Amino acid sequence: MQSIEAQRKIEPFIVFFVIASTQIGSGFLVFQRTVAKSAGYDAWIAVIIAGIMTHIVMFLIYKMLKEEGADLASIHQQVFGKWLGGLFNLLFVGYFCYGLLTVTRTYIELVQVWMFPDLNVFLFTLFFFVLVFYAVNSGLRVIGGLSFFSIVLPLYLIFIFLFILPYTDFRNFFPIYDHSIKEILQATKDLTVVMIGYEIILVFYPFIKNGQQSKKWAHFGLLFTTLIYLYTTVLSFAFFSEEQLKETIWPTLSMLKIVELPFIERFEYIGVINWNIIIIPNVCIYLWCASRLLKRTVKIQQRKSVVGLLFIILLIIPQLETRYQVDKLDDYFSDIGFIINYLYIPLLFVLLSIVRKVKKRQ
Amino acid sequence: MGFFFKKGNKQPKLKEQYSEETDTAPAKSKDEKESSYYNSETNLHFSIRYISTIVDQDIIQKNILPYLLDKQFASIADVKKILPIEDVQIETNEALIEEKLFNGYLVLKVHTDKQHVAFIAAKEVIVRSLSMPEVETSVIGPKEAFIEAIDQNINLLRIRLPVKELMIEEFTIGSVSKTRTALMYIDDIANMENVNTMRQRLQAIDFDQINDSSYIEQLTADNKNSPFPQFLDTERPDRAAGVLVEGKVVVLVDGSPHALIGPTNLVEFFSSPEDYLFNWITASILRLIRLFAVVFSILITPMYVAVLTYHYELIPKDLTATLITSRQVIPFPPILEALILELTIELLREAGARLPTKIGQTIGIVGGIVIGTASVEAGLTSNVLLILVALAALASFITPVYKMGNAIRFLRFPFLLFAQLLGLLGIVFCLLIVITHLLRLTSLGRPYLEPIYPPRWRDLKDSFIRLSFDKQIRRPSYVQAQKEIRFNPKHQKRRHDIEE
Repeated sequence: MQSIEAQRKIEPFIVFFVIASTQIGSGFLVFQRTVAKSAGYDAWIAVIIAGIMTHIVMFLIYKMLKEEGADLASIHQQVFGKWLGGLFNLLFVGYFCYGLLTVTRTYIELVQVWMFPDLNVFLFTLFFFVLVFYAVNSGLRVIGGLSFFSIVLPLYLIFIFLFILPYTDFRNFFPIYDHSIKEILQATKDLTVVMIGYEIILVFYPFIKNGQQSKKWAHFGLLFTTLIYLYTTVLSFAFFSEEQLKETIWPTLSMLKIVELPFIERFEYIGVINWNIIIIPNVCIYLWCASRLLKRTVKIQQRKSVVGLLFIILLIIPQLETRYQVDKLDDYFSDIGFIINYLYIPLLFVLLSIVRKVKKRQ
Repeated sequence: MGFFFKKGNKQPKLKEQYSEETDTAPAKSKDEKESSYYNSETNLHFSIRYISTIVDQDIIQKNILPYLLDKQFASIADVKKILPIEDVQIETNEALIEEKLFNGYLVLKVHTDKQHVAFIAAKEVIVRSLSMPEVETSVIGPKEAFIEAIDQNINLLRIRLPVKELMIEEFTIGSVSKTRTALMYIDDIANMENVNTMRQRLQAIDFDQINDSSYIEQLTADNKNSPFPQFLDTERPDRAAGVLVEGKVVVLVDGSPHALIGPTNLVEFFSSPEDYLFNWITASILRLIRLFAVVFSILITPMYVAVLTYHYELIPKDLTATLITSRQVIPFPPILEALILELTIELLREAGARLPTKIGQTIGIVGGIVIGTASVEAGLTSNVLLILVALAALASFITPVYKMGNAIRFLRFPFLLFAQLLGLLGIVFCLLIVITHLLRLTSLGRPYLEPIYPPRWRDLKDSFIRLSFDKQIRRPSYVQAQKEIRFNPKHQKRRHDIEE
C-alpha cells in the first residue's frame, strides 16, 4: 500500500464540500426541463428518489473502501488482477477526462449563450485551464479549499431565488401523483445522471484523514445537494407552467432574470459568473482524479500528466462548435455516468465482496 | 605604607605609560588602536587592543585602565576579579579576537601569558530615544514604538511580560553584517513546532547583509513568490507583546524598528492594535468596514471597466445614463481611462512617500485637486471614475499593515487587465486565481486563509469581528499553542437571573 503524508491529507469534513461541489455543475441549470418532460410536476418525487439512490451508491462505495488504504486502483487490482484492472483504470481515466471536457464545454456554451456570443473559445479555455492547472498543481488541499469556496460563496443565490416568490403559484403541484411510476422512474434516471460526480471519492479516499470518519460528511454532502435540487425544482415548478418549462432550456437562469436589485438589473449575469466559481473545483477534481489514476496505473508523474491531459482537451474543445454537438456530449456523458454509477459500481461491489470472501476462506 | 603607595599611584600618568604602536599589522583600519602598559605593582606588562570608534572611551579611561594599573593584577585570571565590568571573558581561542574586536570588546593580552586572552566589553551603544509609532499610529493606547537597538526593544517587551517563561534565543545572521537577531517566544504557551521552524529558518539564512527585519521576512517566507506578506510586522511593543501571549513567535532584528510576527493569517493583517482598546462592538464594526474597504478598493475600478466595456445592460438604466453622460467627451476606452487615473494615483502616492513630509503634503494637494479637476475638465477622465479611483485609494490606505496595503495596491492591476479581457467573467477568474494563491500560502506552515479555510468557528471570535475579552477563552487555534486556555471561565461571575 502506498502511504500518504499526513500533511497532504484533507480533513474529513472537507469531503462534504468536495462531494457537494462535484454534484452541482452545469446540469443544475438545465435539469428541470428534462425531468418535467417525463414526469411533469410530479418530478419532485423523482428528486427525492434520486437523492436516495445516491446515498445507496455512496454506502456501497464506503463499504468497498473499508480496507486500509483502498482506492479504485487497488480494488480493480484485487478484482480483475493487474492487467485487466489496469485497463479498467484507464477506462476511468477516460471517463474523468470526458467529464472534464463536458463540464468545461458546457460552461463555455453557457457563457456563449448568455454573455458573450462571439467568445474566443480557445483563448477562454486557455485562461480557464491555466487557472485549473495552477489549482491542481497545488494539490488536493487547495482543491478542497476551492470546493469550499464554490459552495459557500454562491450560497447567497439561495436567498436570491426567493425574489421570485411573488410570481409563483404552488397550486401547480396539485394533484400530486398523477403520473405513472414508470414516468417518475424515467425522471429519476434523468436526475441521477445530473447528480453524479461523487464517485470521485473512490480515487481520493486515501487522502482523507481517518477515511471512515468522512462517511457521514459524504452523506451530508449528498443530502445537501438533494435538498438544493429539491428547492430549485419546487421553485421552478411553481414559477413556470408545465408547457413553458418544457420549452425553457435554462430554467434556473431564466428564473434569475426576474430578480431586480436597485443596482443590478440583469441578475442572470451574476448567475453565469457565479457558475464559474461553482464548476472550477468540479473540473479540478476530475483532472486530479484522472492524473492520480494514471499515476497508479502507468506510473506517470502527476505533474506531467496534468499538463498532457489539459493540452489534449484544450485542442479538442474548440472543435466542438455547434449546440447540437454540445448536447450530444452531455447526453453521452449522462449515459456513461449512469452506467458507471448505477450499474458498474454495484457490480464492482458484488465482485469485490466475493473476492474478499474467497480470500478469507483461504 | 602600601596604602599610601597605592594612594600615590591613584592618578596614573597615563600619558607617560602610553606608547603607541602603529606599525604592526599591514592592513589596519585607522580606528584600530593597540597600546601597551605596565602595572608597576605586579611587574606585569600588558597590552590592549580595541576599535576606537565603537568602544566607549569613558569606560576604558574610568572603569578599565585605572583598575588594571593599580590593582593586584598578577595574571590574566585576575581581570575578572578586579574589573567592575561584568562581561569579561577569558579565552584561549585566538580566532575569536577579530570577532570580539569588532563587536566592541577590548582585547587584553598579558605578556607573560601568551595563551590566554581576555575580552572586556566596552561597547558604546548610541541609541535614539523612544518615539511615537509612525506607521501604526493610534489615537488611544500606548504611544511608544520600537527603535533600532535590539536590547532596547527586548527591554520594551520584557517590561510588558515580566515572566521567566519569556525566552530569547539569539542568532548572528549575515556573513558581513553580523546582525544580531533575537527569536522570542513564551516557553509554556508557544507551540514548539513553530519555534523550531522559525529557528531552523533563521539558522538556514545564508546572506551577506541583513539591514532590516524585512530582509529576514523575505528570506524566511514560506512562499517567496507571493505579493502577500507572510509575517506580520509591527513597530508597536504592545502588539508584539500581545501576540507573544497568544503563543506566536516574534523575531527582533538589531537595527530594525520592526518586529516580525509569525504564524499569522490573512485576516490578522486587517486588525489594528486599536481594535483591542475599543469595546468589542465598535471594534468589530471597524474591522468589518476595513475588510469591506479592501474588497471595494480592489474591485471597484475593474467593475467600472467591465460594466462599461461589456455589460451596459447589467446596471439599471438611470445609472447607465449617469455613467454615459460623464463619459460623453472622453476619447479613451474605459480601460485606458482607468489605467491613467490609477497610475496617477500611484505616482502621487510614490511621490508623497519619497519626498520630505512638508513637500509631500503639497504634492498631495497639487495632485489630488489640481490634476484631478483639470483632467476631468480637459475631458481626459470622467468624474465618476475619478471619484471611484479616489475612494479606492482611500480605502486601500485603511489597511493597518503597510506591507499588506502595498500588496492590495498591486492586486488592482491584474484585475483591471482581466476585466478588460473578459468583463465580469475576467474579474471572477482573477478572484479565483487570488483565492487559489491564498489557499496555497502558509505562514510558518500554518494555513494563511484560516479561519475561512480551513473553517474554524472558534477563531472567528477574533477575526472579522472581535468578541469581548471574556469570550476569548481560547488562544487562536491555528497557532496551536501548548496552553490553549487563556483563563478559567469558571472564575467569571455567573450571570444572575432577573430577580436575584
